[in-house]
Amino acid sequence: MNAPATSSSPARSERETILAVEDLGIELVRGAERRAILDGVSFAVPERGLIGIIGESGSGKTVLGRALTGWVPEPLRQTRGSVAVAGRKLSQLTNEELRQLRGRTVGYIGSDPGTSFDPTLPIGVQIAQKLRAVVPHTGWAAAKKRVLDLLDQVRIPSAARRFDEYPYQFSGGMLQRAAIVDALVAQPKILICDNITQPLDVTIAAQIVRLLRGLERDLATAIVFFTSSVPVAKELIDDLIILDKGRIIERGPKDRVIARPAEAHTRRLIDSSPRIWGKDVDVPRNTTAAALPSDVLLSVEDVVKTYRVPDRTRFSGTLEVKAVRGVTLDIRAGENVGLVGESGCGKSTLSRLLSWIETPDRGHIRFQGKDMAGLRGKELLAMRRKFQLLLQDPYNCLPPHLSVAKTIRTSLDIHGVKRAEARERARAVMHEVGLKDDDAERLPIGMSAGQRQRVNIARALVLEPTLLILDETLSSLDPAEQSRLIDLFERLQAKHGLTYLVISHDLALVRKVCSRVAVMYLGKIVENAGNARIFDNPGNPYTRALLSAVPVLDKGPFNPAECLVDGEPPSPINVPKGCSFATRCPKAADLCRSSEPLFSTSEQNRNGVACHFPYH
Amino acid sequence: MGFVLRFLLRRLAQGVVIMLIVSMAIFTILRWDDSKKDTPARLILGPMATQDAIDRKTEELGFNDPIPTQYLAYIIKVFEGDLGTSYIRAESGMSLGATQDDIQTQRASVLRLMLGALPMTLQLAAVALLIAMLIAVPIGVAAGLNQGHWPDRLAVYLSSVFVSLPNFWLGIVLAFLLTAQLGWLPSIGYRGFTYTILPATVIAIEMAPLFIRSLSVSIAAAVRQNFIALAHVRGIPSHTIFLRNVLRNIAVPNLNLFGVQIGALVGGVLIVEYIFDYPGFGLLTVQAVSQRDYPVIQGISIISSAIFVIANILVDLVSAKIDPRVEL
Repeated sequence: MNAPATSSSPARSERETILAVEDLGIELVRGAERRAILDGVSFAVPERGLIGIIGESGSGKTVLGRALTGWVPEPLRQTRGSVAVAGRKLSQLTNEELRQLRGRTVGYIGSDPGTSFDPTLPIGVQIAQKLRAVVPHTGWAAAKKRVLDLLDQVRIPSAARRFDEYPYQFSGGMLQRAAIVDALVAQPKILICDNITQPLDVTIAAQIVRLLRGLERDLATAIVFFTSSVPVAKELIDDLIILDKGRIIERGPKDRVIARPAEAHTRRLIDSSPRIWGKDVDVPRNTTAAALPSDVLLSVEDVVKTYRVPDRTRFSGTLEVKAVRGVTLDIRAGENVGLVGESGCGKSTLSRLLSWIETPDRGHIRFQGKDMAGLRGKELLAMRRKFQLLLQDPYNCLPPHLSVAKTIRTSLDIHGVKRAEARERARAVMHEVGLKDDDAERLPIGMSAGQRQRVNIARALVLEPTLLILDETLSSLDPAEQSRLIDLFERLQAKHGLTYLVISHDLALVRKVCSRVAVMYLGKIVENAGNARIFDNPGNPYTRALLSAVPVLDKGPFNPAECLVDGEPPSPINVPKGCSFATRCPKAADLCRSSEPLFSTSEQNRNGVACHFPYH
Repeated sequence: MGFVLRFLLRRLAQGVVIMLIVSMAIFTILRWDDSKKDTPARLILGPMATQDAIDRKTEELGFNDPIPTQYLAYIIKVFEGDLGTSYIRAESGMSLGATQDDIQTQRASVLRLMLGALPMTLQLAAVALLIAMLIAVPIGVAAGLNQGHWPDRLAVYLSSVFVSLPNFWLGIVLAFLLTAQLGWLPSIGYRGFTYTILPATVIAIEMAPLFIRSLSVSIAAAVRQNFIALAHVRGIPSHTIFLRNVLRNIAVPNLNLFGVQIGALVGGVLIVEYIFDYPGFGLLTVQAVSQRDYPVIQGISIISSAIFVIANILVDLVSAKIDPRVEL
C-alpha cells in the first residue's frame, strides 16, 4: 500500500486533543415524530490528526459535520452528549463565544460550493470580510494580502484578478478552492470537510484532495473529512471512522480497516467503491450483442452547436460559446455507448441535440436512417417517441402537483393515446420499473431520489422508445440504489431491445455498463473505442488523465503523477489553437500547439483517436 | 461599461415606443365618438357660439382632418416640446368655459398646467412612500426573520386589514376624524405641507401590505439560503450578515416590485387627490376628463408613462449594480 506518510509529526499520544465528541445524540423532532439521527457518537481528534468519517447518504454525516461547529438547526435537537473544541463545550458557550470559536478555531467547508458564497459580492471581498470579522483589528490591506496569499497557495490562477470576481464567474472546482481559503484564512486548528469532492469532476476532485494534503503539511491543522467514498478518504487521512445509521460501527487506522474490516457494513462500503481495473471488475455482460454488427440506430455526423452570449465588455457584439465543435458518432442498435468528459465539455449540449430539444447549427443527426432536420409536425412527434431523454436531477424534473400516475399518463396524452388504454399502460409500466400500485396516486414530494428516478424511467418507457439517452441519470443516487437501477436497465434492455446512450462523468459506471465509450473534450470527441481498449490501453493522453484521477482502492494502471492534468479545461469561448488539450497535456509538442489533430478511425472496429502522438 | 450604455439606448428607445403607443391610443379613443354634438370646437367656444364660428374654429384647428393626420401634427409638436393648450383652462388657472373670445394665448399651456401640478404630486408620492416604508420595513423584516411566529402572523393580519380598507372610505373617515372632529391635521385643499400628510397616509396604507408581503417573503427565502447559514458558521456576526448579505440579496425583487408599484401609485393618487381636493396631477386628470379637455388628458398620459418608463430603467440599473448576475 502506498500510504502517504504524515508521521513526521509528534507521536499521537503526545498531541493534545483538539476536538472531543462524547456520546453525542441528535434527534429530528417534528410534531410528534422523533427520530434519532445521531446516536451516541464519541470520538476525539488530536492536534494535526487526520480523520476520515465514512458513511452512505442518510448515515448522519452532514448532521455530525455541522454539529462539530455547533450548528444544529431546527427541527434537529441535540438530546445528549457534547462536542468540545479546544476543551470548550459548544453547548455551554454564549452566542458571541461560539462565533469567535467558529471563525478562529474551526474551519468548515460544505459540500455545495455553488451556494457557499453570497452571489452578490466578490469572492475575495467575502473572505477578507470574514477574516476581519473573526480576527479583530485586522486592517483591510492586511486582510486582502492574506487572502491573496492563500488564493495563490490553493493555485487559483491570477489571484489578484479573481479576488474581485463574483461567484458566478467561478467554476465549481475554483469555488471549492475559494471555500478552502475561506476556511483556512484565520488559521483554524481544525478543518471540517463535509463531502467536499462529491459534486466535482474526478479530475478536479483529485486536485482538491492533493491540494488539501499539501496544505495540511504547511498549515498544521487537524482535518475531519466526511465522505461516502473510501478511496477518496484513503488519499488524505490516517484513521477511519465508519458511520452507519447515526452510530459509529467501526474505527481504526485506514490500512487495517480497509484490509480487514470487522463489520459486514464496512465491507459493503468498501466493496461498493468504484472498481475499474482488477480481476473482479464488472464489465458489460452482453458483449456478444455489441460484437455482432447491427444496424446503425443513431448517426451523428459532424454536428456543431455554437451559442451566442452578449459581450459585456464591449458596446455591442457577442461572444461565441463553442459548445459542440464537430461531433461524429454512430450508435448501433442494442449496444450501450458511454459518453464521458469533464463538466463543460459539451456532453449535455450534445445530449440536447441528440434528443432534438435543440437543433444543430451544422451537421446531420439521423435516427433509423431519417434526417431529423427533414421531419415536421406529426412525423417529428412520432419520431420523438422513439428516443427519450432521462436527466440527472430527479427532484426538478417531475411536476410537483401531479400524481405519479398522471405524470406517466401525460406522456401518452401528448402522443394521443386514449384515456383507458393510457391508464392500463401506465400501470403496467409502473410495475415494470418497480413502483407499487400504491405509488400511483402519490405526489413526488416525499419520494426518495431513487423512486423519483423510477417515475422518470416509467414516463419515458411508457412511450416504448428504442433509444434512451441517460444524461447523468444515475449520478445523484447512492451506490446501492444505483446498482438496483443498473439491474433494472439491463432487464429492460433484454426485454424491449433498448439501446442506451449513457452520458456520465462516473467512469466506474461507464466501465460497468457500456460496451463502447466516447471521450469528449471541449466540444469534440477525442477518443472512441470499445470498453476494454478505453480502460486498459487508451490512445489519447486525455483519456489517461481522466482515468488516473478516478479514486480507486487498488492502484490503477495509470500513475496520477504522470498522467493527472493540472488546472481546468479552457473556456469554450477561447478555444486554444491547435489541439484543444495541448494546454494541459503532458505529451504536448510544438505540433500540438499549432495544428489540430484529426479524428482518425479504423474501419474495422470503429475505434478512433484524435491525437498527434497517441499511445499504442 | 459599454453594455450599460447599450442598455440605456435600448431601453430609452423602447420607452419612446411605449409612449408613442400610449399617446396614440389615448388620442384616438378620445376622438372616436364625435357625435357632432360636443366637438372640440364647441368645447372651446362654448354652447352659445354660432355654428358659423364653430365651423371656422374647426377648420382652423384642423379637427376635420383624419385622426392619424391630427395625431401626426400633435406628436410632432410634442417632440418640439409643445404639449398644446387646454381647451378650457385659462392661464390664470380659472376655467374659461364658454367664451367666444378665442385669443389662444389666454388659454393655459398644457405643459405649464402640468409643471404646476407635478411637484405637488411628487411631494405627495414621496411622503406616501416614506410613510409606507415606515410601516412596512419594520413589520416586513420582523415577519421575514421570524417565520411562523407572532411577528409573521401580525404582518399577515395587519396586511389583510389594510388591503380591505377602500381608499375613498379611509380618506373620508380620516378627514372626518382628524380634521373635522379632532382638528389635528388639515385636509381639504392645499395651503401648506401639513395638507400632504393625510392623503399621503391613505395612499401609504393602500401600498404598505404589498411591501410587507414582498419584504417578509424575500427575507424568509434569503435567510434559508445556504450561504446565509454558512456565514454564521464562518463566524460572522448576525447583524453584519443581515446588513451585508440579506439586504443585498432581497434588494432586487423588492426594487422590481417598487418599479411596478409606481404605476399603482399614480392610480392611487388619482382618487385620493380628488377626495382631498389636493391640487396635483390626479385632480388635474379628473377635472380634465370631466371637462373633456383632450390636450390635458393627452399630456398627462404622456408624462405619466414617461415617469413609469424612466423609473423602471433606474430600477434595472440599480439592480444590476447590486447584483452582478442581473442581465441588462
